[in-house]
Amino acid sequence: MKFLFQVRLFAMPRWGTALSRATLLVTLIFAGVMTRSGVAETVYFNAWGGSPAINDYIRWAGDEVEKRYGITLVHVKLTDTAEAVGRILAEKTAGRTSGGSVDLIWINGENFASMKRNKLLQAKPWVMDLPSFRFTDPVALPAILNDFATPTDGLESPWGRAQLVFGYDTGDLKSPPKSAAALGEWIRSNPGRFTFPQPPDFTGTSFLKQILLEVAAEPALLQHPADQVDAEAVMAPLWAWLDDVTPHLWRQGRHYPANYTAMVQLLGDREISIAMAFNPAEFSNNISSGVLPDTVRSYIHDGGTIANVHFVAIPFNASAPQAAMKVADFLLSPEAQLRKADSSVWGDPTVLAMSRLPAADRAAFDALPRGIATLTEAELGKSLAEPHLSWIPLIEEEWQKRFASGN
Amino acid sequence: MRGIIMAVLLLPIMAGVTGVVLPAFGVLPSLGRIDPGLDAFAELLQVPGIEASIWLTLRTGLISTALATVIAVLLPGLLFQSRGFGLLRRYLAPVLSLPHVTMAVGLLFLLQPSGWLIRLVSPALTGWTRPPNLALVPDEAGLVLILGLMAKEVPFLVLMVLSSLGQINTIPLMTSARSLGYGKMTSWILVVLPQLWPRLRLPVLIVMVFSLSVVDMAVVLAPGTPPPLAVRVLRWYQDPDLSMRFLASAGALVQLGLSVLGFVVLLGLEKTAARAGRWLSFRGVRYIRWRNVFRHGTSAILLVAGILPFVLALLGLFSALIWSVAGVWRFPDALPSFLTLRYWLQLEGGLGLALMETVLIGGISAFLGVVLVIIWLEAKPARAKIAEELIFMPLLIPQIGFLFGLQIILLWLGLDGLRSALIWAHLLFVFPYAWLTLAPSWRAYPREWDILAATMGKSWPQRFFLIKIPLLLTPILTAFAIGFSVSAALYLPTIFAGNARILTLTVEAVTLATGAGRQPLGVATGLQMLLPFMVFVLAGAVSHWRFRRFSGIS
Repeated sequence: MKFLFQVRLFAMPRWGTALSRATLLVTLIFAGVMTRSGVAETVYFNAWGGSPAINDYIRWAGDEVEKRYGITLVHVKLTDTAEAVGRILAEKTAGRTSGGSVDLIWINGENFASMKRNKLLQAKPWVMDLPSFRFTDPVALPAILNDFATPTDGLESPWGRAQLVFGYDTGDLKSPPKSAAALGEWIRSNPGRFTFPQPPDFTGTSFLKQILLEVAAEPALLQHPADQVDAEAVMAPLWAWLDDVTPHLWRQGRHYPANYTAMVQLLGDREISIAMAFNPAEFSNNISSGVLPDTVRSYIHDGGTIANVHFVAIPFNASAPQAAMKVADFLLSPEAQLRKADSSVWGDPTVLAMSRLPAADRAAFDALPRGIATLTEAELGKSLAEPHLSWIPLIEEEWQKRFASGN
Repeated sequence: MRGIIMAVLLLPIMAGVTGVVLPAFGVLPSLGRIDPGLDAFAELLQVPGIEASIWLTLRTGLISTALATVIAVLLPGLLFQSRGFGLLRRYLAPVLSLPHVTMAVGLLFLLQPSGWLIRLVSPALTGWTRPPNLALVPDEAGLVLILGLMAKEVPFLVLMVLSSLGQINTIPLMTSARSLGYGKMTSWILVVLPQLWPRLRLPVLIVMVFSLSVVDMAVVLAPGTPPPLAVRVLRWYQDPDLSMRFLASAGALVQLGLSVLGFVVLLGLEKTAARAGRWLSFRGVRYIRWRNVFRHGTSAILLVAGILPFVLALLGLFSALIWSVAGVWRFPDALPSFLTLRYWLQLEGGLGLALMETVLIGGISAFLGVVLVIIWLEAKPARAKIAEELIFMPLLIPQIGFLFGLQIILLWLGLDGLRSALIWAHLLFVFPYAWLTLAPSWRAYPREWDILAATMGKSWPQRFFLIKIPLLLTPILTAFAIGFSVSAALYLPTIFAGNARILTLTVEAVTLATGAGRQPLGVATGLQMLLPFMVFVLAGAVSHWRFRRFSGIS
């Protein structure tokens, strides 16, 4: 076989040159047309990517906004929202005031307060103007306007509700402990069967807050900023409870799972007996996906558990803010909220007020299937308000110092 | 020409390091803070558990490097001129293609209390119906991290040893020494090793710097209370609280300091070993008597120690593949209750995209890397001779020590999040490895053939493209394959330069490994195994096809 290269490498027939030039020309024109015709807008939605169910829902939302508005939604999966906030901050310090890498971010609490403090959000409020906002009732659900005691100022649009629930395997544990005191006793008599995600993971810190709310001498003090009260005295019962309990935790309290999904796996493997999550439908979702056996049920503490609202916000330098607002509006719409609340999809409770919805939508919400491990609205009724934001770093740092520093 | 390449590849690193050194001393003008001082370092010392973090980093990094080096220099000696040597040579390169994270996930799947190993023996041998409450992965001492690091390091160092063996006259040396009555291992240690070591110093340093500053493997395998230093520094960099940047930069400088400490320890050990070797040779010991008795024992130990981490990881990866097709798999079943292809067919949205990104970025950076290496090797040396050691600078500086500065520069230039910037960042790491693979073979090309072709009237392009490149096709393709694997395995550079918008399989795998579902993690791991392996097989096939009618050219 003739060695290919031996055929006149550097000589070409005249038609060959013409053909290659024509191809080049056509390619350039095509490229020019493509870039100038304003190909569909892209919205980079930075959201936690650790749950396959949530990722699937976001993919569905992306398909829908593509159909309706021609917007391409890209789900940038985060391991930690603080990552994206840090990136926006880096962009601000580098002087990037437009064309930022984040268009829409799934956020609440500490991260939102940080963005607000560092002026990383849009200049003007935009949430009240969203067409879907009229279906919410800020009076019935004040957390829509006040995120962990920080006013949202119309800069973040509510997306879903969350409440801390615990899950247990009825085949393993007959009656779970339903208060901090009962839990402490149970852990001591059943060593190695309980744990919580390592703070500063959101669920882990929330668990610590839950315990604090239950064991504190005056829980009402936690609604005030930490620097206005004697923080150490207020937190002392929490550390006493943890000191008692930590040596009897899973792995003797030397290792902790990274997040609540890892904990659900541990429950499925029967390494632990009790898991926790912020989504009331989490355990039903996992039963249907086969990670957990169908003997798992959920419960909350008798005194109620922490509940809050999570939001989506638009950074100041978003490259497609208008498109992002359309996406936020879609996420708030009854159709999207209905699908989100469907426990076979995600099961995240809605932020819409039933009283403000048209009758057809209200009926649809009522008809939603409820997983076997999901508590009813009535059972979830008892909820505790989130403590003021300033308590979070205190709790996290102190916990790190006492239990995660190799001592 | 060489200067230009050097500038393109090195200036960002220097700038990156500056972007880290300055904030460590309190200078960050873009934040409006210029108070030079040692405050950041003082704050660093106050961080709870920092000494434990540093000690953990040093322990795992140095022990894994030391063990890997010892095994890598002794193993080829053991297998010298035996059948195993040929096997080693042929199958080493694909073994290297697995990304670090994949090895880590493999060990995780195998060794964790609810992992495959325990599932296989429970409840039959152990009587456990639920996973034991043992800290196996991660463990207190960081042993699993050491194991994971060795799984990658031993093959890499063995490959370096094998390629260096071609440059010294190994066979004549060994033959002479053995004909003088010295035993095989003794001749290897006393004669071949001293010649080998100067060529190995650089790879060992690269391995050490990597082990001391690894982040992706540490997230999966290392203890979290407290985590190793590099993981902490990464978290501080990602913290929205701006004042943490100073702390993070101070931590990155300490990381650099740990690498320097490692260099010093290495040099010290080298001198000591040299002294010991000289003493041993002057003693006239021809073979150590007890080795006659335990000869098979020590060989077996060496062989097992060398192969064990890798074999364990491979078993774990096999179980990851089973997980990827598992429907429901309860503890303590040895196999899933039923199988399903659901996770492979869906490719979980993100994974399909990540796969394409990995292929695209890996392919382009490997191609560009090889082209640049060829240009470098063909270019005339500049008048001011640029030391070739500088090529390895990206590998000798801990990634966390300059990537943040690099990110600031990319942001400033408006290049962040672009694939081209990410490819450039990957190129920084691909270039040295491609150079390591290609340079020895390139330099071994006989100049006489070039001269001969010139005397036959062939111009430079003809000599180059028609003779040299085809003859060196195999090393070029191998360098491409290795460049691809390097790019596919990069974690920190992808996160920093791609602004977390561009997700490769490695980045997805780390996210999945910390929680979301074992089945998607199994699929991601399977893809990470298949991809570089296919590139290697392709490279081998092309070169095999090309040279099918020629004997004696490999």
